Amino acid sequence: MIKHLKTLLHGEVDARFLEKPNVRWFIGYCIAIVFGSSVYGATIGLWRAPLQSVFTAIKFPLLIFLTCICNGAVNGMLAQVLGSGLSFRQTAFAILMSFAVASLILGGFSPITLFILYNAPQLASEHAIIGHSVMLLAHVCVIAFAGVMANRRLFGLLRKMKGRDATARAVLFSWLAGNLFLGAQLAWNLRPFIGAPQLAVQFLRDDSLRGNFYEAVWRAFRHLFL
Amino acid sequence: MNPPPLPSKQPSLCANNFVFEPMPHPGNPIRALEDLLKYPGRIVHELHQTRAAILATWLLIFGIAGVAIYGVVIGAQLGGAQMWIAPAKLGLGMLLSVLICLPSLYIFTCLGGIDTQLRSVCGALFAAVCLSSILLIGFAPVAWIFSQSTDSIVFMGALHLLFWIIGIRFGLRLIDAMGRFLGATSRGHLRIWSVIFVLVCFQMTTTLRPIIAPSKTFLPTEKKFFLANWFETMNGTNEKKVK
Repeated sequence: MIKHLKTLLHGEVDARFLEKPNVRWFIGYCIAIVFGSSVYGATIGLWRAPLQSVFTAIKFPLLIFLTCICNGAVNGMLAQVLGSGLSFRQTAFAILMSFAVASLILGGFSPITLFILYNAPQLASEHAIIGHSVMLLAHVCVIAFAGVMANRRLFGLLRKMKGRDATARAVLFSWLAGNLFLGAQLAWNLRPFIGAPQLAVQFLRDDSLRGNFYEAVWRAFRHLFL
Repeated sequence: MNPPPLPSKQPSLCANNFVFEPMPHPGNPIRALEDLLKYPGRIVHELHQTRAAILATWLLIFGIAGVAIYGVVIGAQLGGAQMWIAPAKLGLGMLLSVLICLPSLYIFTCLGGIDTQLRSVCGALFAAVCLSSILLIGFAPVAWIFSQSTDSIVFMGALHLLFWIIGIRFGLRLIDAMGRFLGATSRGHLRIWSVIFVLVCFQMTTTLRPIIAPSKTFLPTEKKFFLANWFETMNGTNEKKVK
């Protein structure tokens, strides 16, 4: 399994692997996602409090699995109508694979984010806001990098499967759009991840199911520019 | 009854991922759904055969059922009576839109230089609607998550509209494929018809309003164009009227 995960990271996965997906790989991807994203999630919440670190370690893999489950049907359908020839099971495998790659990368980055955390101004200090900003920026950069790399691997696999760049690109774009769209909302529902210094440590906010991510962005935009 | 004649000049295969070939299991409606997603060219081909009427009927049934299922998700935002009102209105609206636009589709196919029968045109339209409904079912979990997180009718309306537009975009590709399959001399006519169909569907959402928001009556008492209704909803005028 470790050998297979290494092959994934190298981007040398054979197109045949999607033709006959097996349960062992499925379990392996789930373990990789749980392990990588939990460890990384723990480093996200640790700046706020140890309890927040535990909460974020649980919520990060939960976010990934919920996104995969809720978008599973539409991702499968889009792959088919865009002519990729992938079945629902193959689609789920391919997406799970890309999340596994991202999680492994995130897991690998967690010692670095932990080091940044160690050097960041503490919550009690007068420069706490700088610490919050630095952590936020570091996590955005790391998660963006992991996302880009995972999608490059996924694109390579789709290209090998289909042999046509245009189809692979269309399928990847549609999956990305759907996963980002829903993932942003689910992340909003599952907030807090880092934990604002002035708010209590909680698993979920009391108003977690009130309002949505896009309304909040729109309100922020109006507040700033209108 | 003999099958209708196929056009003498067959178009090239694989254009835009459509391969026009016979369905391996023409009598199986579930396989037809699978073919609609994976090999829509087979459906277009089958709709030009003698058994087209059966397939077309199944497609219409699946189309209405799919839209109704999505309607339940729309109704779940408010719950109560809206749980059956929204699916009923969506199913009815889809059926009415299809009936309203079917004659013009037949006329436009003729204008495009296609020699075909009404039942093939019906089948292609039902297939388009069915495909969009299936995609809507795929979007249903996403829509449900948003519907449980927000009270904003404007946001949810825009989201449902976005999902429907994505679905119908793929559905209308089937109509275009039918034009190619039957050797249309001009595809511009079918594109114009596609715009008309979308506009009719938009207006239908206003004619049967409200679908998301609560209302004292099943159907509206005031006539309105969809753009006026959308602008009023965005400005909150409709909300004040309900209160």
